Amino acid sequence: MEQPHPKDIVAPDSEETEFVFFSGKGGVGKSTVSCATAAWLAEEGHDTLLVTTDPAPNLSDIFGQSIGHSITSLDDVANLSAIEIDPDEAAQEYRDRTLDPMRELLDDEQLETVEEQLDSPCVEEIAAFDKFVEFMDEPEHDVVVFDTAPTGHTIRLMELPSGWNEELEDGGATCIGPAASMQDAKERYEAAIDTLGDEDRTSFVFVGRPEDAAINEVERSSADLADLGISTDLMVVNGYLPEEVCEDPFFEDKWADEQAVIDRVEASFEDKPVITYPLQPGEITGTDLLADVAAVLYEEADPTVDIESTASASESASLDRTVDRDAVMEQLRPQDETRYLFFTGKGGVGKSTMAATTATVLADEGYDTLIVTTDPASHLQDVFGTTVGHDPTPVGSSGLHAARIDQDRALEEYKQQMLDQVEESFADDADVDAETAKAQVKEELDSPCAEEMAALEKFVGYLDSDEYDVVVFDTAPTGHTLRLLELPSDWKGFMDLGSLTKDAADGSGDKYDRVIETMRDPAQSSFVFVMYPEYTPMVEAHRAAKDLRDQVDIETSLVAVNYLLPDEYGDNAFFEQRRSQQGTYLDQIDDRFDVPAMLAPLRRDEPTGPDELADFGRDIAGLPDEIGHAERLEADPS
Amino acid sequence: MTKITIFEEAMCCSTGVCGPDPDKELVRFTNTVERLGDEHSDVTVERANMSADIQRFLEHEAVHEKVESDGPDVLPITVADGDIIAEGEYLSYDALTDAIDTRQEREA
Repeated sequence: MEQPHPKDIVAPDSEETEFVFFSGKGGVGKSTVSCATAAWLAEEGHDTLLVTTDPAPNLSDIFGQSIGHSITSLDDVANLSAIEIDPDEAAQEYRDRTLDPMRELLDDEQLETVEEQLDSPCVEEIAAFDKFVEFMDEPEHDVVVFDTAPTGHTIRLMELPSGWNEELEDGGATCIGPAASMQDAKERYEAAIDTLGDEDRTSFVFVGRPEDAAINEVERSSADLADLGISTDLMVVNGYLPEEVCEDPFFEDKWADEQAVIDRVEASFEDKPVITYPLQPGEITGTDLLADVAAVLYEEADPTVDIESTASASESASLDRTVDRDAVMEQLRPQDETRYLFFTGKGGVGKSTMAATTATVLADEGYDTLIVTTDPASHLQDVFGTTVGHDPTPVGSSGLHAARIDQDRALEEYKQQMLDQVEESFADDADVDAETAKAQVKEELDSPCAEEMAALEKFVGYLDSDEYDVVVFDTAPTGHTLRLLELPSDWKGFMDLGSLTKDAADGSGDKYDRVIETMRDPAQSSFVFVMYPEYTPMVEAHRAAKDLRDQVDIETSLVAVNYLLPDEYGDNAFFEQRRSQQGTYLDQIDDRFDVPAMLAPLRRDEPTGPDELADFGRDIAGLPDEIGHAERLEADPS
Repeated sequence: MTKITIFEEAMCCSTGVCGPDPDKELVRFTNTVERLGDEHSDVTVERANMSADIQRFLEHEAVHEKVESDGPDVLPITVADGDIIAEGEYLSYDALTDAIDTRQEREA
């Protein structure tokens, strides 16, 4: 089958404004690729607008000009304007827009009550979507390039509109109630949905690193979009190791692994163009490098990897730093009560491996340990080489158990509980037919809020058990989710409708208060942020940590910095430069977080099985390698 | 033809299931509205949620004054063809149909 040319995919060819969306995880180079695309389109003479909704925007670094929350034309590139949408600011604007007209009717105190009521978990999501729709109507531009938020998020935004529209047609209120004027919004939403499904006007481009896990994620996301009638048009594999710099067995193997992944991508996207761009020794900033990216993407040029000019800048940097193992272990070992460890961070940073190795180390020290994953893409079973299911099963080392929360199943259970509750409420009600009421409630349950609630419920279930000395979660709830636990009592009442009502004697409100107290107590809970030493992952992690503190008063206990380049391999200017860059970000992570760090090297293969996990775990926590089990037990304070 | 409008507090969704005010009452009332629509072809029912339809609150003089003087606790307010017929509570299906019948008889 003839593949379309990438430039025909992104370039506008009609009278109407066209749209290009870039999708992918944070840190894969979406910003770079979308900036390069926007700049290229502008150079080609198309009036171009670049919209980024990235929570860690770095357009100013890339273009060397500050952009911000309003449309700004770029000094160095003709025909190009850009805007950075700050999701927090967008949410605030959105709330203000809803509340302002109420000022005429309500006093400040009443307004505050309403504001609190409207502070629903959906508001940020809705606000982001609203912004996105706003830029779908830009007739003065030929083409609008969106550097969208990460994949799952994007898809949820896409899925919402059809549901909303049905609600609007019914004339009922909806989960997007806070929209200032829904009827006005309706037309805009409908137009946006039509455009998204219009092959001629809209292109979707996925960006991913040449790693199996990343590509799996892209394939899942692409399939989800296909279910919504949106096809993926172009795939960009970004950041592969240039062959000429891989001069030792470690990196030669890494190179070969990446090439195998690229082959797999080409096979799986057979009728779509797949373009690759290499890792650069430094970060991609400035219009020259952008032009190089664009030339590779759209003009079939070979990439330039300029090692020589940058090499002199770097000393022989070493990343072999000392881990403060006492400080680290103090955050990991239980004290008098069960210790809860929350590994948090964006997908692809190695949370599962960090969590599994830490759990193994603690189990080896003699603590009864449970590791719980909520990650749909969990590879816990690959890591342990054992099947991991819904209920805790023994894995790996003695004293270690693992369980996987199946999100879909959790959501189904949650919905069923809510519906049972409705059925019970209206069973003996002469006025209301229970089936009809259930049908109505069911509609409301098809919302992103319900998904979040369902996950939270399952999570709380594990948190309230004291069967183990240590419980490790390989995915932590966000500050945003935890805020639900703190919302006004009405919200807690809402959650009472779920399974928690079943322990009738224990008010759920109290239960949630206890949960949040546990999470706040540094003697009982530790939040560990996992990231790799690059700009976007660091900024995203820091933002999430700040969110935890601002929303629910939880402090970060540890960071785990992953994929540090080993000193013993990669002895050339390219890797020197990369190492020095990682060192810079390692220092910045230290400054920003100011907590003890676990340091994990890039490895040839992921550790699997109890022995490898234990070794690796001790390594990243700074524990000596050859320490015997008995000695470890002796070192155990309990 | 009778036009019923219910002016409601700011809330997230009509059943209250995903809203800040989880209320059996709201599920019941959603049901009432649906039934009225199905069973009375000469009645239209509309719901105005303060967060989504603030404009309608501002435009309706009587409702505007009531909320301004008494605060949002006076909601929900039920209006039939422009006249306030109930405040501070959701009417039951029977109460609502009674009120409608009385009005229609008077007009006839």
